[in-house]
Amino acid sequence: MAGYGGYGGGDAGGFMAGSQQGGSQAGGSKYADESLRPVTIKQLLDWEDTYPGAEPAIDGHPVTQVTIVGQVRSVKPQPTNITYRIDDGTGAIDVKKWVDSEAQGEGETGSGAGAIGPDAFVRVWGRLKNLGGKKHIGANFIRQIEDFNEVNYHFLEATYVHLFFSKGASAAGGVKQEGGGDNMFVDQGYGAGAGGGAGPGGGNSAMQARLATCSRNAQTICNFINNSPGGTEGVNLHVIAQGTRMNVRDIVNAADELLGQGIIYTTQDDETWAILDY
Amino acid sequence: MDGNSSTPRITCAYLNQYVGKLVTVVGKVVQLRGEEATIDADGTIHAFLNREAHLSANNGVQLIGKVNPDLSIKVLSSIDLGQGVDYNLANAVVEVTHRYKPLFLYEN
Repeated sequence: MAGYGGYGGGDAGGFMAGSQQGGSQAGGSKYADESLRPVTIKQLLDWEDTYPGAEPAIDGHPVTQVTIVGQVRSVKPQPTNITYRIDDGTGAIDVKKWVDSEAQGEGETGSGAGAIGPDAFVRVWGRLKNLGGKKHIGANFIRQIEDFNEVNYHFLEATYVHLFFSKGASAAGGVKQEGGGDNMFVDQGYGAGAGGGAGPGGGNSAMQARLATCSRNAQTICNFINNSPGGTEGVNLHVIAQGTRMNVRDIVNAADELLGQGIIYTTQDDETWAILDY
Repeated sequence: MDGNSSTPRITCAYLNQYVGKLVTVVGKVVQLRGEEATIDADGTIHAFLNREAHLSANNGVQLIGKVNPDLSIKVLSSIDLGQGVDYNLANAVVEVTHRYKPLFLYEN
């Protein structure tokens, strides 16, 4: 059965790619997850651990390092750390900055933690901690914000990253698509149009993230297959060609790309594909 | 302030949705008269300042306060932002706040 061989190959490739993106199933290192994610404080407060010791995740994606901006509401110096109450208008959270006893130059200027007082706008880098149901951020670094626009910039960035993970959209397609019809790209044709629509419903976020790295053609046909009623039967090359008005060679190339990514697999024959859903 | 409460960023256009609630407004100080200020935040907002307010005309300001029934704002906290405030950026954040509410505000 020719289709089965193709399935196996696609599956294997898919898992490789999946393990790099998702990280959680693979027993290997978690360094891939060590990215610095801009978030609002509300996003941190909204996260609930499903079991004790669960890794924090936002939009189904693990978060380790986060960055927030906000205004200092209170400063509580303690023997081993300084606890700041940070409020960014979406919520408030405690930020603990450990005191480095070696570098105890109290009057450090500028970025020095000692210089930060109430009402100052600050940027914080750190990790979300959850001790006994009470969340705080263990700060690696706190600095005062000189230019107020950085505050607003941060919120746009946090929103962008949220949309990237939740909608899995590429820069060209979904993000602007998602904005509600004010599409800047007029001539995107079927692909982009389907991209915005299919994003939320179709596939899991890991798949969407992988799809985002594919070419426009590949995204187009993936979305087309996703929206077709074919199910596990798959959708034939000619149906795709008719539906997307792309030429056959482009579709075959794009399908090869998707097969390599493990996003689709061949079903009845080598020209019929279905979405690999796991 | 309790952790699970937000002070949404709004502009003039959103005032009537937040009567009696705490909000954040970023705008430009148009006029100062004693404890009363006129702020431009995509529209004119009247604000009643507290004693601690130190604002200057033509500078940017961030106000946190409660929206009165007449759509003026009773200011609880204000901070001068100086000259270089990008108001288009601030307004964009207000739009994003209301388009993707789960990221930014608790609704009740």
